[in-house]
Amino acid sequence: MSAASWIVVGVAVAYLAACLVLGTWSSRGGEATTVGYVAGDRSLGLLLLYFITGATIFSAFAFLGLPGWAYSRGAAAFYILGYGALGFVPFYFLGPRAARVGKARGYVTQAQMLARRFASPPLAAVMALVSAVAFVPYLALQMKGAGMVLSTMSGGAVPEALGAALVYGVVTLYVLKSGVLGVGWTNTFQGIFMIALAWGLGLYLPTLRHGGVGAMFDHLAEARPELLTAPGLTSGGEPWHWGEYSSAIVVSIIGFSAWPHLFMKAFTAKSVDTIRRTVVLYPTFQVFLLPLFLIGFAGVGFEPPPEAPDRILPHLLMELDLSPWLVGLFCAGALAASMSSGDAMVHAVASITVRDGWVTALSRRLTPERELAAIRALVVVYMLAAYAVAVVYEGSLVFLLLTAYGAVVQFMPLLVAALYWPRATGPGALAGLLGGAALTTLFVAWPDLRPWPLHAGLYGVALDVLLLVVVSRLTTPTPGAEAFVAEAAGRDAPSAPAASAR
Amino acid sequence: MRALDVAFGLYALVCLSALTWPGYAWLGNRVAPRVLGLPLSLAWNVGWIAATFVVLVVYHRLRTGRDGR
Repeated sequence: MSAASWIVVGVAVAYLAACLVLGTWSSRGGEATTVGYVAGDRSLGLLLLYFITGATIFSAFAFLGLPGWAYSRGAAAFYILGYGALGFVPFYFLGPRAARVGKARGYVTQAQMLARRFASPPLAAVMALVSAVAFVPYLALQMKGAGMVLSTMSGGAVPEALGAALVYGVVTLYVLKSGVLGVGWTNTFQGIFMIALAWGLGLYLPTLRHGGVGAMFDHLAEARPELLTAPGLTSGGEPWHWGEYSSAIVVSIIGFSAWPHLFMKAFTAKSVDTIRRTVVLYPTFQVFLLPLFLIGFAGVGFEPPPEAPDRILPHLLMELDLSPWLVGLFCAGALAASMSSGDAMVHAVASITVRDGWVTALSRRLTPERELAAIRALVVVYMLAAYAVAVVYEGSLVFLLLTAYGAVVQFMPLLVAALYWPRATGPGALAGLLGGAALTTLFVAWPDLRPWPLHAGLYGVALDVLLLVVVSRLTTPTPGAEAFVAEAAGRDAPSAPAASAR
Repeated sequence: MRALDVAFGLYALVCLSALTWPGYAWLGNRVAPRVLGLPLSLAWNVGWIAATFVVLVVYHRLRTGRDGR
């Protein structure tokens, strides 16, 4: 291994060590109970919540995939900015309602809340299953990203499998030790680091290649104008369709807040106002994405081209013969992106499996110590499962991911109905979820069956809403639903409902 | 109370149509004019993110200012 590779790997390892120290230090006793481990004793303030939601979203996909999209598909990638503006807004309304019932009734996951509201334990089981199926490929993708970065940047000295094991070994340690607080403090650190790095590279690379951002777009407007106007291109280089572009934005706005690891943050917030302010501040995090587009556009026309569009950023850094210190910092930034999504996911899915699969769906009682031990054991199990998938599975992870995402989007109508519509019933919710998820999966697998070129998830959501309304109307109302919705809205609560709004 | 929520809902609809077909296709989807070096098609999206942030701040202020205490 050359001296430059040693510096690159050294910077990355130093960064991992810093994350480990911060992540294990940050629990400060909060890990001893389930509410502490899963929901941070409902004590998370604005700063931590902001960076947890922000850094969770800026995953390995944002750091590697987004420049790859801009590089190969041009303006098609703008859809990510398009949904970013409104993506978290539904949570402004749903989050506080969920937080009120969560606090009053002791919920720490969304499926637990829905299963109680709809008096339907099978619903919790279905949601736990969907979440597990959604998260394993997602986590595997993050691991692959981390492994790929370490391997490329060390010039092959660190194999992908070893790189992924090293990075996720660190994540496993701090998630086990510190739970949600470990996730929160490392994400804050990593979020700031990623913003600085992305802006640095996003301004530096266009300058290096073309002499500036403006000059770069002058060049692109001449040479590749089709990359600069929406809806951009498909991955095959054909023009993309406006229906696909627009419906991808709509589905993302609907589904975004329903992701279990994001929705669960309603139960970790210190107050209703903290949740609302996190949503208000969320668009500011989108500014971080802009330099990643610039990086992707800077790669257009670069010779030799990368093996795959996803590799454009590491490829540029390697080929441009930059300082190994800068390359090492990038490497750490990409690991930060991967880790800060992976940690929150594994924490969420382990909590969900125990709370929803075991405790809620099967009505097993667990002592708090046993429950916590089970969650920690599952963190390790999911890490190993995702690692096995990342190393062994040869098929398309993206297909698994799209299927799972299509199913997660179907949670949204149920969440809205649970918190706003007392007449919604358990059979209605179950029918909507299963019907919507099945139709989405069908259209993801066979896109040609769709009547119009719209995102598969949109058809699923439409069927979901239809079944939810019709079946609910045909079945008997759920006992206690009126009181539940009133409590969520902050009406008729036993004591000072507005006190939490500070 | 209602008026504020309706106004916010209307903004969300306008914003959504400005970021998708047809609003984006008609108004924002071109290379010129350039904004700080960026093509309008990219700056348009960034602009709506900034506008949404401002609207959310104002909406949140007015809402909690009224029933927050």
